[in-house]
Amino acid sequence: MMELIGLSKSFDSKPAIVDLSLRVEDDEYLTLLGPSGSGKSTLLRVLAGLERPEAGRIMLGDQDITARPTHLRGLGIVQQNYALFPHMTVEENVGFGLAHRAQDPVTDTAEVARRVAQTLELVGLLGLERRMVGQISGGQKQRVSLARTLITEPKVCLLDEPLGALDANLRERMTVELRKIRKALGVTFFHVTGNESEAIAMGDRMIVLDEGRAIQIAEPDTVFDAPATVRVARFLNAYNLLRGSVQGGTFESGEVRMPVPSGAQSLSCAAVRYDAVRVLRSGAEAEAGAPALHATFVASEFMGSKVVYFFRMADGGMFEVERHLSSSDPETYGEGEHVTLSWRMQDVLFFDANGDLIELAQAKGAA
Amino acid sequence: MATNNDSVAMGAPVAAPQESFWARNRHYLLLAPGVVWMVLFLVVPLLMMVYVSFWTQTTFAISSDLTIKSWQTFFASETYFGALLRTLRIWLTVLFFTFLIGYPTALFIGQFVRNKTLQTVLLVACVIPFWTSFLIRVLAWRPMLGKEGAVNIVLQGLGIIDQPIEVLLFTELSVIIGMVQIYVVFMVGPIAFMLARIDHSLIEAARDLGASAWTIFRTIIFPLSLPGVVVGAIFVSVMVLGEFATASALSGRKVNLLGNIIVTQVGSLKWAFAAVVGVILTAVMAVVITALLRVVNLRKEL
Amino acid sequence: MYELKTLRIGLAIYTALFIGFLYGPFIVMGILSFQNGPDGGPQFPIIEWSTFWYQHVLGFAPPSRVAPLPIGEALTRSLTLAFATMVVSTVLGTLTAQAFRTKFKGSGVVFYLVVLGMMVPGVLLGLGMALVADQMGVDRNWWSTAFVLHVVYTYPFAFLVMLAIFNRFDKSIEEAAWALGVPPGKTFRKVTFPIIFPGVLSAMLFALTLSYDEFPRTLFTGGSDVTMPIAIYGTFAVEIHPNLFAFGVLTTLFSFALLTVYGILMGLTVRRARASGIQEDI
Repeated sequence: MMELIGLSKSFDSKPAIVDLSLRVEDDEYLTLLGPSGSGKSTLLRVLAGLERPEAGRIMLGDQDITARPTHLRGLGIVQQNYALFPHMTVEENVGFGLAHRAQDPVTDTAEVARRVAQTLELVGLLGLERRMVGQISGGQKQRVSLARTLITEPKVCLLDEPLGALDANLRERMTVELRKIRKALGVTFFHVTGNESEAIAMGDRMIVLDEGRAIQIAEPDTVFDAPATVRVARFLNAYNLLRGSVQGGTFESGEVRMPVPSGAQSLSCAAVRYDAVRVLRSGAEAEAGAPALHATFVASEFMGSKVVYFFRMADGGMFEVERHLSSSDPETYGEGEHVTLSWRMQDVLFFDANGDLIELAQAKGAA
Repeated sequence: MATNNDSVAMGAPVAAPQESFWARNRHYLLLAPGVVWMVLFLVVPLLMMVYVSFWTQTTFAISSDLTIKSWQTFFASETYFGALLRTLRIWLTVLFFTFLIGYPTALFIGQFVRNKTLQTVLLVACVIPFWTSFLIRVLAWRPMLGKEGAVNIVLQGLGIIDQPIEVLLFTELSVIIGMVQIYVVFMVGPIAFMLARIDHSLIEAARDLGASAWTIFRTIIFPLSLPGVVVGAIFVSVMVLGEFATASALSGRKVNLLGNIIVTQVGSLKWAFAAVVGVILTAVMAVVITALLRVVNLRKEL
Repeated sequence: MYELKTLRIGLAIYTALFIGFLYGPFIVMGILSFQNGPDGGPQFPIIEWSTFWYQHVLGFAPPSRVAPLPIGEALTRSLTLAFATMVVSTVLGTLTAQAFRTKFKGSGVVFYLVVLGMMVPGVLLGLGMALVADQMGVDRNWWSTAFVLHVVYTYPFAFLVMLAIFNRFDKSIEEAAWALGVPPGKTFRKVTFPIIFPGVLSAMLFALTLSYDEFPRTLFTGGSDVTMPIAIYGTFAVEIHPNLFAFGVLTTLFSFALLTVYGILMGLTVRRARASGIQEDI
């Protein structure tokens, strides 16, 4: 178990991590979602001992490792650019840490070779042992980088955007494999990414980092269904955000009127998931009492398993609607076609003046 | 929460524990050998030189009684003060000609040769003469410039002159010719380097806008190559101002630069006086280099 | 477009002339090195072609009124000095450049202090060092006072070369090794150094060449046992003979040999990196 207590780090008095506390459990896949500039790389570097925090502690088990140099931390790190040793073969890369580490190095060459072979098999690289790392593909480099770290049996393995540099095809395969490999070894993965679907799909738990603060730590489906703040909702890239205010007991945003959930004093924003919106062609009427707005069709994008439609609202803002092809066939709209967009009240999330989510139960009660 | 150095009470904010002394001061340890070396063997000798320039010099001995007599001697003497002026004159002349002769070549290598291999080959061709000892390269000018030297033979053979030109060797001219040839490469290199770095699309854009070759050169190419010119000028200045070998080899000891005076004075054990000349040379050098560094930030260009 | 083409041709011709200017004395020197000996002087016309002066340099010529160049001792001294200078300045340069990889207070001062070493004219430094040695009662020798000044001169070059090398070095590779549990010292030996080795080789070559040909600094601080450049300088005062030119040609050939060795070493490094061998101990 690793625990971060009140970690802070700034560069030239610009805060990168602010008073961050967090527990990383044993044998879990933890993902950290943060947009660029959120401080996620800094956090990883602080954990790895490559940057010094100004305040706070990092506990690994019952040991304080805050001031320990990188090579004595027992943490593994898989860098985004792989950072393989260019002058060594695949085999030498993988065996390097095991043979040369400061703490209990393996001096028996045969033992190193055996474990290298074992690890290469685990990551599916058998047969490439003697290749120089300049002669293998990006996906293979990724696996070498992973194998090189896993062979040292780190207590926690830090992965810095491990799928960032892979093409879509490989990315999907590695998503599955990373989870499989982690399960097989029982090691904790701390996977940092800027990609929301990656964070949701891979993590047992996920953390959302924003401006150096952890604004939500929960299981991925909780984060997805109930983003803690407006900003989390925006990072998830799955919600239409309607800014507005309460006018005489009604939340108003442009032409949209929705009843205010009981107990809420002030509201700043409402969020509607892309896939919870109905598109009504002109003539069709929205259900009585259901919120609706008028928009014109702009474009659609076919994404394999789903289609995303883009509409322009009267105020010029964009509104996205998603249709999963497993549930319905794609619709086609003419460019500039006028439609009505509507949704059910129980699918709406409300955020208060501070941008914090208003408890779901209350919102449902009001609807 | 048991920790092995739990002296800080748990409470916010928790101070991060300090890393070890060696880890915190690692780069000062890395710097120490080099800095110590430079202070002992570069700064101390230069300070010593300033100090000794105020010592009392007699014909046979030197004593550490402070005086400004050596300084007075320098500025009062036609020979010595003249050497200062001559040094400055020759330095400016050589600087001007290394720039004038070197720039077109740098322009060709850096801007007109777009093939990287050919660029390297041309630059290496310029550097190859440096594999011969500096002093031998200087001496090789003697059979070039002499009354029966190669230049006169060729010019006479071509029928350009009837009589051999005698001012070529053992004059200030021969010193300047020799220095320009030896140091011009230090001007070509940095300029060509800067020119080769210029983004070609910039020049094409200017051409598309109808700029003439001269306008492009004046407004884009030359300003962008200026850091190279300054770096080259620093190289040439440093070497020419401290010169004495070329002058003594090619002038038949008729042209005395400050460097030559230092050598002569040291030869006759006039340490204090040599130190005075040294300090003056250092001052000239400092002014020149500071002025040049104002134009360009050397550290940024490297 | 037309004016540009003319300009290109003009500049090409100019560059050819320029290279001719650089090589002129060198070629003349090569020709005169085949002057008849021992009576022929270092000037035209060539009395008779001969290899006498080459034999003279190498010590095969019969004794004559021209004293032989002190090749054996002076050359050995110069090479020893150049080698020692090369090692020390490359080590210092690498250490300093390594320190410059992280920001630290006072880096500007240190940078200029180091670069000052190549900026101060040799004659000044030689004078200053001679004064210091004189006051401290230390003997001036090529292996002591001259050696430290050679390092002062070549260390900045090595430093700048290494700085450029480290600027291009991907730091995350080192960080990866640390994260694997490998301590920084071992990481430097096993990872960093093999990768920057070609750069180190260039820095060494730089230092070797500069030190081998160094002369103004050595003049005042080298003591009575002369190095090669000082021996040549000694001939300035007296009459010069074509044996110097023969020597110049020979040293140039030697330099080329050195450059070839450097090239081969570079090639080997590259090839070793490409080879799929397992000669690295795991």
